[in-house]
Amino acid sequence: MRVTPEITGVLIEFSPMERELLETLLAQYDELVHDQLDDTDLTDDPALGRLFPNAYPDDADAASEFRKYTREGLVEHKSANSGLVAAALMSADDAGRLAVERDDAERWLPALTDLRLVLAERLGLRRDDDPLPNSDLADVYAWLGELQWSLVAALDPESAEEPDGFR
Amino acid sequence: MVGVAQLVEHWLVVPVAAGSSPVIHPMFEASTDVERETTTRSGISSDVPWQTVVWNDPVNLMSYVTHVFRSYFGYSKPEAQRLMLQVHQLGRAIVASGPREEMERHTEAMHEYGLWATVDRASL
Repeated sequence: MRVTPEITGVLIEFSPMERELLETLLAQYDELVHDQLDDTDLTDDPALGRLFPNAYPDDADAASEFRKYTREGLVEHKSANSGLVAAALMSADDAGRLAVERDDAERWLPALTDLRLVLAERLGLRRDDDPLPNSDLADVYAWLGELQWSLVAALDPESAEEPDGFR
Repeated sequence: MVGVAQLVEHWLVVPVAAGSSPVIHPMFEASTDVERETTTRSGISSDVPWQTVVWNDPVNLMSYVTHVFRSYFGYSKPEAQRLMLQVHQLGRAIVASGPREEMERHTEAMHEYGLWATVDRASL
């Protein structure tokens, strides 16, 4: 996988396996997200709870109102992002290269974050220093992180710099 | 949050011992504690300052969080990094304050970005 910044956005190159992997993940994610159209309290399900966080953990009534007000929009927004990435993957040439315009590439970022959030829960990651297990799933999680980091670095190199004074 | 080095750290790390239990984030503890009293906010003026709070999580990249703070809120690079580091090192940061409706919009936007955000009343 390689990400190269371009004037209009980014050029991304995937191996056939990487493309297929990402397509599969996105399809599963889309299904998961659409199941949440009814605005149930998802606090008991950590993976879904992270995709649709509780905005008012100390106020059940306000939390419920917020859910009612935002759930559908969030589902549509997340689904649109993953759909955009899936469509871009289908447009790749035989060498696995695809050019993504800046505005679209920006929408890859939250899509990748969401995929990683779900995988992190499956992997049992709860704290910053939780180690990754030695598994295929962990490899996929790490790969998605590298892709996301590469995209941020290409789109906004200043944000990818290590902050001054950070140990 | 994670930095780049931690993304490949799994090649070097010993697997977690069987039987160890993950720390449940306080967020989830509070929501499953049935004895906890929930306060309602009805009757409180929306003029009272409210806040949008972003919480740390083990998934989000520091670079991505900084990028979101710059892109969405328009914070300068130093300010975005300062807030990101606050989230990373202290566990949370107040990223906006103002009327309740506005803070809810910001919180919803943070959720769209995959960040963990809540709405809170500013401390008096």
